[in-house]
Amino acid sequence: MALLRGSLTYARFYVSGAPPDDFRERYMRSIRARIMRPLEPDDEDLERSGWTQVGDPFGLELGYDDVFYGENIVLSVRTDRWQIPGPVLKRQLKEAEQAYLQKKGRERLSRKEKAELKLLVAKKLRRQTSPRTRAVDLAWSLEDGVVRFFSHADKPAAVMTELFVKTFGVKLVPESPYTLAERIGLDKAQARAWRDLEPTMLGDGDAERGEAAEEEEES
Amino acid sequence: MSATTEETPLATRIELRRFVGRELLLWLWFESEIFEGTLWTKEHGSFGMWLEGRLVLDEARESTVIKGSAPGNHREAKEALLRGKTPNRAGLHLAWDGGDHALTLRGDTLAFAGLTPPGKPLAEEEAPVDLGDRPPPRKKRKADDVDESDLERESFYERMHHARDIEGLFGALYRDFLTLRLGPGWDKDVLPAIATWVRGEDVDAGAYKKARDRALGRRG
Repeated sequence: MALLRGSLTYARFYVSGAPPDDFRERYMRSIRARIMRPLEPDDEDLERSGWTQVGDPFGLELGYDDVFYGENIVLSVRTDRWQIPGPVLKRQLKEAEQAYLQKKGRERLSRKEKAELKLLVAKKLRRQTSPRTRAVDLAWSLEDGVVRFFSHADKPAAVMTELFVKTFGVKLVPESPYTLAERIGLDKAQARAWRDLEPTMLGDGDAERGEAAEEEEES
Repeated sequence: MSATTEETPLATRIELRRFVGRELLLWLWFESEIFEGTLWTKEHGSFGMWLEGRLVLDEARESTVIKGSAPGNHREAKEALLRGKTPNRAGLHLAWDGGDHALTLRGDTLAFAGLTPPGKPLAEEEAPVDLGDRPPPRKKRKADDVDESDLERESFYERMHHARDIEGLFGALYRDFLTLRLGPGWDKDVLPAIATWVRGEDVDAGAYKKARDRALGRRG
């Protein structure tokens, strides 16, 4: 619940383009269409993401009041993922294979049979557990065109970006030294220097370079 | 070669300029030391800022992590700079607008971590919510929750306002840094002063300030 409580850890993204006049209705429809559908053991997907309510990742009914905070859209990106430990799956699969071979009175399994058994065992194990759930909040300031996403990790950011673009039909650009410089605005001389900018190398080399520049100025 | 043109894809342009954020951290570290923890911008006036908590410097896969109340003062920190490492993230203490704030600024993304919320004591960086395997009990909406919801909204606006203020301050510092970094004074005044400071020698803070103010006054 990083958006509403605790210290603030977030990355910024910039939205290009203004929202349409009927954005509340249009966005609400689109958000509801991409609300989180919890993973079920028999689902094909191993991982799934969708929107949920900020402060309640298991709240899957979103109303206008849950989403619109003044000129802001607040949402949480929930991701469910099945995490069956590899050794457990391997052991259970081996037992299932042996039982199957015994029942059929055979010594070997075909590739297709192996794959089918693996899926069956995985589904059985999923029924005995729950998927791992992770939720990351975001706040989109419609006034500033800034999305504050409360995680620094690459994968959740990629999941959020994909979901955001599908839902709102706008582009998201992550904040960086480059984008902030663009927004600050550089004059012609600065833009030229920016284009050819090289990293500063510290140590004796740069000190000498500074002294040489000083001498050049004096002469 | 890091020259970019309009034809360079945006993602590449972003990648090629990540180092500028690290240089911003270096400059903030340098100025906070030579100006004894007092920085200023035209819009914000003067305020306190110094390195505190964790300083991470790296180069390729090798990194140096220094923790403490003044990580920038450690000999190891400047030795890392001389070995070619650059600050990747820095814990900062900010005394501004009548309050003390802690945060970590990342050089590559200019993202904030562990920013203390308004009116709260300084706290440690928090991880995102991981709910594990079991869902918590479903929150039920009752009539009594109206007050809670109002408080939640109030807290949200306060936190976003605070975040925007802090972003504005760092935006102004970055703009000043770019003016120096992209101007003729970088090679002439700023870089020699930083190099002197990195070597552990005395920097003429007065002369640097004069040159800095002249360069920033030239802006616009």
